[in-house]
Amino acid sequence: MSEAMATRTPTISVRNLRKKFRVSNSAIGGLKTLLLWWKKRSVREFEVLKGLDFDCYPGECVSVIGRNGAGKSTLLAILARVYRQTSGEVKVNGRIAPLLELGAGFHPDLTGMENIIFNGVVLGLTRKQIRERIPQIIEFSELGDSINSPVRSYSSGMLARLGFAVAIHVDADILLVDEVLSVGDYAFEQKCYDRVDRFRKEGGTILMVSHNLQAVERFSDRCVWLRDGQMVMSGLPDDVLAAYLKDQVSAQVAETEAPE
Amino acid sequence: MKEELRELWRYRELLFTIVERDLRIRYKNSALGFLWSLIIPIVTTGVLTFVYGYLANNGVSNFSAYVMAAYLPYLFFQQSILDSAQSVLSQVPLIKKIYFPRELLPLGIIIANFIHLLLGWLVFFAFLGFIYLRNPQVNPFQLSTIQLPLLMLISLFLSTGLGLIVSALNTFYEDVKYLTGVAMYLLFFLSPITYTSETVAYSNINQRTNGMLFSLYHLNPIAALSTGYRQALLAPASITIGNTTHPPIGMKPMYLYIAAAVSVVVLIGGYAMFNRMKWRFVERP
Repeated sequence: MSEAMATRTPTISVRNLRKKFRVSNSAIGGLKTLLLWWKKRSVREFEVLKGLDFDCYPGECVSVIGRNGAGKSTLLAILARVYRQTSGEVKVNGRIAPLLELGAGFHPDLTGMENIIFNGVVLGLTRKQIRERIPQIIEFSELGDSINSPVRSYSSGMLARLGFAVAIHVDADILLVDEVLSVGDYAFEQKCYDRVDRFRKEGGTILMVSHNLQAVERFSDRCVWLRDGQMVMSGLPDDVLAAYLKDQVSAQVAETEAPE
Repeated sequence: MKEELRELWRYRELLFTIVERDLRIRYKNSALGFLWSLIIPIVTTGVLTFVYGYLANNGVSNFSAYVMAAYLPYLFFQQSILDSAQSVLSQVPLIKKIYFPRELLPLGIIIANFIHLLLGWLVFFAFLGFIYLRNPQVNPFQLSTIQLPLLMLISLFLSTGLGLIVSALNTFYEDVKYLTGVAMYLLFFLSPITYTSETVAYSNINQRTNGMLFSLYHLNPIAALSTGYRQALLAPASITIGNTTHPPIGMKPMYLYIAAAVSVVVLIGGYAMFNRMKWRFVERP
């Protein structure tokens, strides 16, 4: 982190962030279970995030890497306010547009156009503002006349394009990206990356989770490595990626050697 | 709760959009679309007029209007709560991806149903106009109709409070949906909708208990509201039980005050309960 950055106010500030999930052993938390086995209910708790501290600054792209189950997606979901943290502090300065799963907020029976309006409003625009942006969104999504068909008739690529187009046009200050930029064809992917670059130059913050280490290397200014809900390392992508890969290889070696 | 209300206000634009979306989806794939919201009350009025005019005439002229006056608000109440039950559960995939105040889901559905109630009243007053045209000697319109907005406000509070409770509980325990269905079904018969509160007042059992049953019966806010709507919208009617005709008796306003108080308590309690549970919706097992 440069000196200039340290003096600016962070757009995301996380202090000692913890998240516990409670999992009950019965598959469905039915009324029967609640009434009959109130005492015997065995609830297992597990901690997904065990005290995280980090900051993100305007214009920065931070990527979070780590193996499956390290807590990356949970972290993004907490920042997107889908989950509430068990303890710790999360300060967000500005508007967040989460891209946790493309097209997830779409209603299949509504047309693409109606979904644009709904999603835009969910992301914090007024209906008037979103109507003004509809031409740009349609153009970016390359959907053409399909915009007036119900979303259930869309292919996954079309859904992805529409979802990204909406998220990038809502004037968010922070983009949360969970492994979604690699959908769509090559040309569209490039267009997304260009748009993301522009977003950053304009002072937007990006926090992304990716297993695509090339994308991480290309885009991020900083890289955070999570393991079992704790930060292992944070720093320049080159350094963190090198350490992460080395760790992955030695873990694999240990695994193959273990049975002997 | 203050903080929650402020957040709700910030998201008011989304509330309108959810209401609009709900109204759109409801008739999305039907040819007649929004007209269905008018056709259903029109057909109901027609059938009720035939049934109570010819098949089950109880001596009250235009009894179908008396039934509609209580049935339309009951329909709003029932539909709001049954729809609320599924409102959060059906949107779990959405709320796992994006934040907005979760209460917007049941609230939007309740408001959409409220709009249907307004359309229902439109049909109701058109029907009164029709009655008037057929027999201009008697004016069916009552001055006390001005109480209608107040009554609807009580209905709205009660439905919203219960809707919030049911939607929160049903997200974790899906039996709640079926329990509510049964409760709504029974409540229909336990409230003066297809009969009048006079019938209850003049019943043998009520006479024997010195009117205690009548009082107990109207502690049910839906019973008090049903009679309240009927009294506000229509002229009092005398009823015939056996061979004796009884003069109409008015329900004391006290029962409506009780219903109003219960509604406010249910609304505040329901919202508090919803807020306590809403962060766990996405973590449901």
